[in-house]
Amino acid sequence: MRIVHYLNQFFGGIGGEEQAGSPLQEVEGAVGPGRLLEQTFGEGAAVVKTLVCGDNHAVEHQEELTAAVLEHVRGAEADLFVAGPCFDAGRYGMAAGALCSAVQTELGIPAVTAMHEENPGVDLHREGLYIVNSGKNAARMKEVVGRMAGLARKLAAGEAVGLPEEEGYLTRGLIRDRFVGKSSAERLVDMVLAKVQEQPFDTEMPVTSFQPVAKPRGVDDISKAKVMLITDGGLVPKGNPDNIEGMAATRWGAYDISGDDDLAGEDYEISHGGYDPRFVQADPDRLVPLDALRQLEKEGAVGEIHGEFLSTSGLSNPLSNTRRLGREMAEKVKREGVDAVILTST
Amino acid sequence: MNLTLAYHPVEALRFDASTRLDGTTLDIDVDDLRGLLLEDEAFEDIAFEFVAPDEDCRAGPVFDIIEPRAKAASSSPDFPGILGPPLTAGMGTTHVLSGMAVTVLDEHAAGGSRGSIGRVLEMTGPAAEGSCYSKLHHLVVIPRMAPGRDGPAAQRAKRVAGLKAAVHLARAVASDAPGESRTFEPVDPGPPGRPGLPRVAYVGQIFSRQRRAELDEPVLYGHNTTGMLPVLLHPDEWLDGGVVTSYYTSMGGAETYLYQNHPIITELYRRHHAGELNFVGTVASIAGSDNTDRDRNCHAAAALVQWALKADAAVLTKYGGGVPHADLAETARLLETAGIRTSVMVSDVSRDRRVESALLFNFPELNAIVYGGGNDTRWQVPPAGRVIAATPAVGELLAGVRELGAMNVAGVTNQQGASRLRAVVY
Repeated sequence: MRIVHYLNQFFGGIGGEEQAGSPLQEVEGAVGPGRLLEQTFGEGAAVVKTLVCGDNHAVEHQEELTAAVLEHVRGAEADLFVAGPCFDAGRYGMAAGALCSAVQTELGIPAVTAMHEENPGVDLHREGLYIVNSGKNAARMKEVVGRMAGLARKLAAGEAVGLPEEEGYLTRGLIRDRFVGKSSAERLVDMVLAKVQEQPFDTEMPVTSFQPVAKPRGVDDISKAKVMLITDGGLVPKGNPDNIEGMAATRWGAYDISGDDDLAGEDYEISHGGYDPRFVQADPDRLVPLDALRQLEKEGAVGEIHGEFLSTSGLSNPLSNTRRLGREMAEKVKREGVDAVILTST
Repeated sequence: MNLTLAYHPVEALRFDASTRLDGTTLDIDVDDLRGLLLEDEAFEDIAFEFVAPDEDCRAGPVFDIIEPRAKAASSSPDFPGILGPPLTAGMGTTHVLSGMAVTVLDEHAAGGSRGSIGRVLEMTGPAAEGSCYSKLHHLVVIPRMAPGRDGPAAQRAKRVAGLKAAVHLARAVASDAPGESRTFEPVDPGPPGRPGLPRVAYVGQIFSRQRRAELDEPVLYGHNTTGMLPVLLHPDEWLDGGVVTSYYTSMGGAETYLYQNHPIITELYRRHHAGELNFVGTVASIAGSDNTDRDRNCHAAAALVQWALKADAAVLTKYGGGVPHADLAETARLLETAGIRTSVMVSDVSRDRRVESALLFNFPELNAIVYGGGNDTRWQVPPAGRVIAATPAVGELLAGVRELGAMNVAGVTNQQGASRLRAVVY
């Protein structure tokens, strides 16, 4: 197995912080932790090239560095790319994570790195990479390199990789299915008994926490505001012209209501598999309340209703998807000079 | 209440001129059974097939799976509220044909998220391994509806036919001596009885108001749950026909068989017998249609657990799709606030396989979560040797299936606690 190894200036033996600006250097064979890596792998594996770069240079010239490293890895006909271990060195971690990601996605070559859980490189790259949990202390070098080698061997051989606690990598934040010996009923009772008896137990899914969304400033004068209606209830014109999926929608649409005082059931359909749509089908205004809003517009209570409403289907949609949909809608809202949005859900 | 289940093991099914258990072979007079079921004019005809465990066979889409059971004389009625008056279930003795099931097929898949094949009965191969149903003998009931009988009328007819067939078969052994009997140890919220043991309750959703129940859709004692508030049930009422599944189950599914053999209730009973906990009772609840409905239901369910059952701990399950997670979580949150410890079982909703998309609630006190998997388990399957379906078109569809997802195999994913497929975080 041919390994290319990336190190920062310190572990690469160039020097300390005073050498953080040094550009990428190429060294034949193993250096520092690379020797340990070679030893751990044993027969049949060699670090054919070590790439060393100063931490400041790496973060300041990331694109350039990535291109150069990809070129070296390709040229070395590597089977595996290893970066670090980086422990709690933040700039080193960010560079190692970015390089491993690039090698993995651009070249399809497995890549492994190691960091302390709080290294900023972890948050940026944990989902895409196997990052061995190195702890803070370089005294654990041998143990950490051992875990990296174990994981790398599996990745290079295309073998199934076990769970974080089995392999020693940092949780990637992904899930996969696994058959287990106990039924969900047995696990459910096990868990509540442990909890009520104040014994330790492991939840099968960590409790998610989200950053609270700050409350925006109120609309200064709603009687002069341009108001838009947005729904995730899946209301679309008959025929669903944008093919908005009824579940896990990847698209949204903007539909003209400029000439309408209310919405008629025969002009619309509902692309949403998660609620009883009969009331909305009978009167779409109950989901997208154009009739009431037009009344307010006539009375002068609101300034103006934007000429389109936006719609998507908010059913079983992963956050990675809805974030994008939300961003795209927000861009549209800004572009149209809208002052206030009424969001209706089901 | 003191239910006795009298088990009569079945190891083979055989067509015969009369219905009776010969040793462990159940002889079935299908003409007699057909005549009984065709009393309902909703059917034009009904066909039957036998399927054996591990047979190279696929049947579907599955409408329901039922364990054949019949009440002994002077016990409570069979499936009260559906086949008999809505009197309390769980009294006296119930004869059980164990090791088999009556499996009723749908004419076409109910639609929704499971694709056009719906949920299938898969009897062999890797997809079958994870399902308790592949280990059973099945009498497959294949309905052909009379012209104009579709929608809720057809669903009602299929529901009743499956239950009638199940009772009819077990009725044949009602005067035989069982192979084995099991009487459940009394469960009682009243006396302390078991000092030092945690008092544990089960709160199970039996319907989700994401859709309106059909007027004659039987769920709880024949009632369609409309207007229902959470209600105390003795565990034996679940096991003995007081509850059947709704017409639509989604996200993991639920079958009447697994109410009769409710994995959570039987597990709580097992631990109750073993002296590990004090099983104090259950609450059947529904998932609401809006926030007012949800608050009303969640508060009522939590109040029953707190004040009527005086529980120290509760396990909670949901029914239906995504929204019922909100009802599940809010009920558990109210219980936690009252000092009652909870664990909850949720459906796999993470389509992008990210932890951040895995839960539909984020209450820090809900930190004991059983997470059923299913969304990324698929099997390549060879053509089934034998396909059973209600129409040639569906048969062709099932025969052509080359890939099966866990969500499409009855029993592999399940909202009643039977599944051994979980999601792990990595």
